[in-house]
Amino acid sequence: MNKVVIDIDNVSFSYGGVSVLEEVSLKIYEDEFIGIIGPNASGKSTLLKLILGLLEPDKGTISKYNADTRNVHNHIGYVPQHSAFSRDFPITVGEVVMMGHISAPEKFFRYKKKEIERTKQVLQKLDIESIEKRHIEKLSGGQLQRVLIARALVCQPEILILDEPTSSVDMRVEEDIFALLKNYSEHMTIIVVSHDIAFISGYVDRVACVNRTLVCHDTESISGKMIEDLYGTPVKIIQHHH
Amino acid sequence: MNGFITALTGYTFLQNAIIACLLASIGCGVIGSYVVVKRISFLTGGIAHSVLAGMGMAYFYNASPIIGAIIAALISSVFIGWINLRWKEHEDVLIAAFWSAGMAIGILFLSQTAGYNVDLMSYLFGNILLITSNDLWLMLLLDLVVLVAVFIYYKQFLASVFDEEFARLRGIKTELFYILLLCLISITIVTLIQLVGLIMVIALLTLPAAIANQYVASLHKMFFLSAVVCAIISVVGVVLSFEQDLPTGSVIVLTACFAYFSSVIFKQFINNK
Repeated sequence: MNKVVIDIDNVSFSYGGVSVLEEVSLKIYEDEFIGIIGPNASGKSTLLKLILGLLEPDKGTISKYNADTRNVHNHIGYVPQHSAFSRDFPITVGEVVMMGHISAPEKFFRYKKKEIERTKQVLQKLDIESIEKRHIEKLSGGQLQRVLIARALVCQPEILILDEPTSSVDMRVEEDIFALLKNYSEHMTIIVVSHDIAFISGYVDRVACVNRTLVCHDTESISGKMIEDLYGTPVKIIQHHH
Repeated sequence: MNGFITALTGYTFLQNAIIACLLASIGCGVIGSYVVVKRISFLTGGIAHSVLAGMGMAYFYNASPIIGAIIAALISSVFIGWINLRWKEHEDVLIAAFWSAGMAIGILFLSQTAGYNVDLMSYLFGNILLITSNDLWLMLLLDLVVLVAVFIYYKQFLASVFDEEFARLRGIKTELFYILLLCLISITIVTLIQLVGLIMVIALLTLPAAIANQYVASLHKMFFLSAVVCAIISVVGVVLSFEQDLPTGSVIVLTACFAYFSSVIFKQFINNK
């Protein structure tokens, strides 16, 4: 078994007295590709924010390599939902991706040569170098998603966390993006939040089902009964191969 | 136009007015861009109006009203920013309270000040033709403060304005930069007050930047373009108001509005073609 990179131990969290997560424990291992799924308002985005260190748990601890939650700047790459910013912001694809290099102590306008080169490599890898100078307003959903993934990858994270990466793209683009992530998951831990269990189970090694509490499964064991328990209604299962 | 140019060579107050327009455009272009992309024009209006409290107190204690304005603007931007970070859901009410409390305090102090203050009207509605060379030096100093701060922390400001959550994950103290940005906004407001007055400041901090935003794809380009647009608008406003003998602040603001609506229509026309 690989070593543990994130250890969520008995974590509870509530928003203004309303319990969102209760006694959640989860170990995430090195180079694992894990899906966190659950219905809307089940607490999966909250769990993500706790892992990222944007929220503090009421109870329990979250350890990353035994390091403190807040020292995650180069350790974790984060891909937010599209709604995190406005599309008419005056910024180009290249500038968004370069933002992945920004850190607190650095000053002034310019980027280092090394940072520019690494950005170029990532743009090439994600096949978006041709749109480097384009305004983000003019991108398709799939292109924007690649840009955000590129921004998370330029700081060479060990863990990549994505929040609903395919919520605003069509099926074909969704497949593209997951194939891409699958590729990266060979040498990187990837955590994906999604509400689409049938789709992601074809790519991830393991799914964690959140609905205030948490149950973990290997992808092989996903059954109709389990989904029914989670969502409260019968869901049609689509056959897929691993 | 010829009349204006002849007058410009003859009168120092007109030369000062034109220099003031150019100096104000620098702060207006840079800080106005942040106001527009961060969508905090209402908050900016609140800071601008709360400035009257500082000016009223300065009058009462016989101090320099512009120094009073700077202090009041800085205090209210730190306060508004700090409270806003904690009670985000009440942002609009909070701003309305600061907006009106600032004006009320200002009027109270002024009512207790002996004598009739004609200068007050010029701070409310601007009087660019009364600008002295001392005022110009102060504007230059405030511009430099803004430019240096934005130059040093360009990346941090960009990240926290564009995507606050991501910036926080990169270790940037976004709350600190938010307050710092509000302080820079308040400094810029003070440089603009003499041009158009605190009541109309919001026009120069939003419209030139909003025009620029329609044509550029990068924030630093937006700085330059909106500064140029602001310079053109304010100089045109001065010329028009001089030739027609109208209040300068009002003419500048109406020129800015006209330019903005023209630009919106022009952009629509281009996009539909």
